[in-house]
Amino acid sequence: MLLVAEGLTRRFGGLTAVDDLSMRVAQGEIKAVIGPNGAGKSTLFNLLTAFDRPDAGRVLLDGEELTGLPPHRIVEKGLVRTFQNTRLFDSMTARENVMVGRYTRTRTGMLAAAVRWPGVTAEERACREEAGRLLRLVGLGDQAETPAADLTQGRRRLLEVARALAAEPRLMLLDEPAAGLNSVETAELSDVLFRIRDAGTTIVVVEHDMGLVMEVSDEVVVLDRGRKIAEGPPRLIQKDPAVIAAYLGEGEDDD
Amino acid sequence: MARYSRASVLRFGAVTAVVVAVAVLPLLIADRYTLKVFTLVGIQALVVIGLALLFGYAGQISLGHAAFYGIGAYVSVWLVRSAGMPWFVGPLGAVAVATVAGLILAIPTMRLKGHYLAMATLGFGEIMAVLFVEAKAVTGGPDGLSGISFPTIGSWVLRGPAENYWLVWAVVGVVLLLAGNLVRSRPGRALRALHASESGARACGIDVGRAKIAVFALSAGLAGLAGSLYAHFIGFISPSSFGLQASVLFVAMVVLGGMGSLGGAVLGAALLTMLEFPGVLLPGLPRQVSDIVTDWQPDIYGLTLIFVMLFLPAGLAGLGRSLVGGRGRRGDGGAPASGADVVAPEGKGA
Repeated sequence: MLLVAEGLTRRFGGLTAVDDLSMRVAQGEIKAVIGPNGAGKSTLFNLLTAFDRPDAGRVLLDGEELTGLPPHRIVEKGLVRTFQNTRLFDSMTARENVMVGRYTRTRTGMLAAAVRWPGVTAEERACREEAGRLLRLVGLGDQAETPAADLTQGRRRLLEVARALAAEPRLMLLDEPAAGLNSVETAELSDVLFRIRDAGTTIVVVEHDMGLVMEVSDEVVVLDRGRKIAEGPPRLIQKDPAVIAAYLGEGEDDD
Repeated sequence: MARYSRASVLRFGAVTAVVVAVAVLPLLIADRYTLKVFTLVGIQALVVIGLALLFGYAGQISLGHAAFYGIGAYVSVWLVRSAGMPWFVGPLGAVAVATVAGLILAIPTMRLKGHYLAMATLGFGEIMAVLFVEAKAVTGGPDGLSGISFPTIGSWVLRGPAENYWLVWAVVGVVLLLAGNLVRSRPGRALRALHASESGARACGIDVGRAKIAVFALSAGLAGLAGSLYAHFIGFISPSSFGLQASVLFVAMVVLGGMGSLGGAVLGAALLTMLEFPGVLLPGLPRQVSDIVTDWQPDIYGLTLIFVMLFLPAGLAGLGRSLVGGRGRRGDGGAPASGADVVAPEGKGA
């Protein structure tokens, strides 16, 4: 198993956002995490990437303990995320955003950068080229020098995917990558996801767009009120009575 | 196809022209007073370049930078005068001590944001201001230290204004080159990234806390270097040069110049330093007028800040960019200007 999460729990005051949640992700699969608003999907991502600390439970990547590491160490280990509301560097160009994404795969420090130590220029050039390649991969090749702030919402999401990819992750967590995308862009996104998966990166995606979930995912995990209520192939999940109940609500919906 | 783009040829030409102009200036200006003012511009520019890296690029404010400037000045004078070291040890020691002081302040405070960081650095500045007055054995107390020796390189004593001018501006040139390399590279991008979105930077694997501490120490070290040059150039130092007013002035210089620009930092330093000497800024200005400007100086600083914040959020550098057209960035494209983004809460959890 590439990712193993065991007994993850996170409470906010009286609310248990993630409740004794366990999850496994196999190498090479695309796993979708779905659930009504407030089900704990984003909190789960925060716990996996150390943007938030669990009250209980642990996370292993390829057998290595991630629990307790700071976020940047988790990126170094090969677990990278995107955000539900994109967190791009708006004042920087698309290419620069992706180049920042390569931070953990490049070495130049402050002193070396200041004096242009031998090797710095070569690393910089390689970083630029790799950024260009990744931008082309997600279909942003023609907007490499555009400031991130000037991109459309759909393209911002793709840029964030390219930035995450730049860290050469083994596992990528995408938080609602299709939100705000039109149908053409969503189709492009699913192509991009397959391309990333085929290049060897495992993907966990939180998504509300059921069309996309059904198309791309090998497995679906359904959360409701912080608990896992179902897990399985997309076709079966669609018919699961507990899932249908969670989505249709039982009179006291939390959305 | 040409190897170099038109823009980069123009840029190279402009930079060469500025370097040559700065270098030959002492040959064209006979007036010692004017030359001294330009030297002071260079010294203040060093502080402002460091502060531009910290505030303009990384988005971390400091209202205590004059303290590092002072630390550099006192440490340098102590090393040369009391410890009997040759001059060049002065600036080196100043950089070392100011950098360490910056580290000591940054490690506990860099987790603070926006207003809280402003208050913490302001508090540090005030503590140091008191220390400069009270540590009489080293600082000479409120009366300060006078008769500080000139810089010496071997047996060459840099007595004249032109020599000091060249020394200071050579240092500025080297620092600008190094800082320019820095901002256009991996660590420089990391600073801009954490300014734009701290959680985005974290998600890219940047150790945000460490990067902030490093840039704070770096900018403190540059202020220390400037303090050392200042002490040996001006020959007299006292606590009044290293207080809150100077700290605020340095921030104003960064803001006026443009948050995300090193050249702007130098320009901001030049304009606001010369405002103290209106006769140099506008030669031929009648005495009465220049006296009024001098009297109203703090108000002019304040109004300049307000004006820039309201109408030129990207500072003079941003104005320059939008006049040239350049890379099609909008006025506020360079770097977010107000403190708002620095304090904007980034939600944890969902």
